[in-house]
Amino acid sequence: MRSTKHHNVVLIMLGEFEYLILSAAVRLQENAYGAAIRQEIETASKRRCSIGALYTTLDRLENKGLIKTAMGDPTPQRGGRPKRMVRVTGKGVQAASEFYATVTRVSRGVSWAVPGRNEL
Amino acid sequence: MNRFWWWVVEPVSRLLEQDEQEAVLGDVVESCQNGPGALLDVLDVVIRRQARLWMGWRPWLILFGLTLPLGMLLSILSRQTSDGSAVYLWMYASNWDAALTQNPGFWHLFAETAVSVFISYLTLACLSWTGGFVLGSLSRAMSALNSILLCLILFFGEIVGAPSYSAFLHRRLFADLHVPDSNAAVFAVSFYRVVLPVIVQILLVAIPALWGYQIAMGMGKLRRVVSAGIWATAIATLAVVCIPEVGLWFFMAMHIFHISAPVGIWAGIRALQYLRPLEFWPIVFLIAHAITQRGMRRARA
Repeated sequence: MRSTKHHNVVLIMLGEFEYLILSAAVRLQENAYGAAIRQEIETASKRRCSIGALYTTLDRLENKGLIKTAMGDPTPQRGGRPKRMVRVTGKGVQAASEFYATVTRVSRGVSWAVPGRNEL
Repeated sequence: MNRFWWWVVEPVSRLLEQDEQEAVLGDVVESCQNGPGALLDVLDVVIRRQARLWMGWRPWLILFGLTLPLGMLLSILSRQTSDGSAVYLWMYASNWDAALTQNPGFWHLFAETAVSVFISYLTLACLSWTGGFVLGSLSRAMSALNSILLCLILFFGEIVGAPSYSAFLHRRLFADLHVPDSNAAVFAVSFYRVVLPVIVQILLVAIPALWGYQIAMGMGKLRRVVSAGIWATAIATLAVVCIPEVGLWFFMAMHIFHISAPVGIWAGIRALQYLRPLEFWPIVFLIAHAITQRGMRRARA
């Protein structure tokens, strides 16, 4: 776990995919579970989200105390199988907001305009 | 996803822990994946999970400390049992005469032999069950992968390990010590040399071991006393089998390297025969387990 001490508060450094999962879970609120989070990430990032990466990252986030997961009730559209429901903890919200603030800070004054061929 | 793909995907998903298996299969159904896509998704989770597990020391310790020696021990015992019974089977099959059935002495000897062969088969099945049970209760997280590894070790044990070991003993006993092999005629028949050991390995080793494994995996959390009692019995059973094999090593060391065994070891090994009834503990356990399950079903109803 990467962490840094800052003003007596231990800040957990997130990875990009971890941040995507936390954001999707917060957006989905009560409906945050495996398939829905995957759909949300694929729509937002326009990239395929591997279910293996999703589940291993959920475990990692849970171990860091950033989310809590629990098995939900079985539903007919899932063939009577339960969902793994995800809830972001206070620590998770703090880590995600810190990650966002860091990216915003670090991007200040940076232009990402793609240079033209002649400028390269 | 059609029934065929479901039939492929579902067994692969059993490599996951039960809750995760349910959640992943549910996600696959909900996202309306086609068959190959669903298989790839489930494989993706399974491979990542197994890779993470095998990064630690525990699975390697279980593999080299238990699964491998257990598989080899069971393969050797299976070969000894099948060879032992092959002599009797050959004797009756090759010398069968209807006139013998009129002789009461024949039936007496036949019954004695049948009981002895049956007990040796039952002992082997009980040991295999115990081995599978111990392995299953040790490695719940690794679930099905360990049972696949055990089957692979049993397969190679049957094909390579046990034949090499018996060839080594054979050389020691019959070639170096110049004792004639009185059972050579039996093992000249390919059925007794090749087919019977495979049948014994599958029916009396692989199937009981997987059964024991399955029972251990399916058992919920037991009370500490019960769990400790079961464990102590299982370990004692394996020790009762392994220690005389240690005696065999001492015996060979004495003949090959002329090393003397510690004084009193033979008496200790001989005393183990009083613990041999322990080998049949799976029968008592399975009866108790069936009664408990029945009681629980009744209580639920």
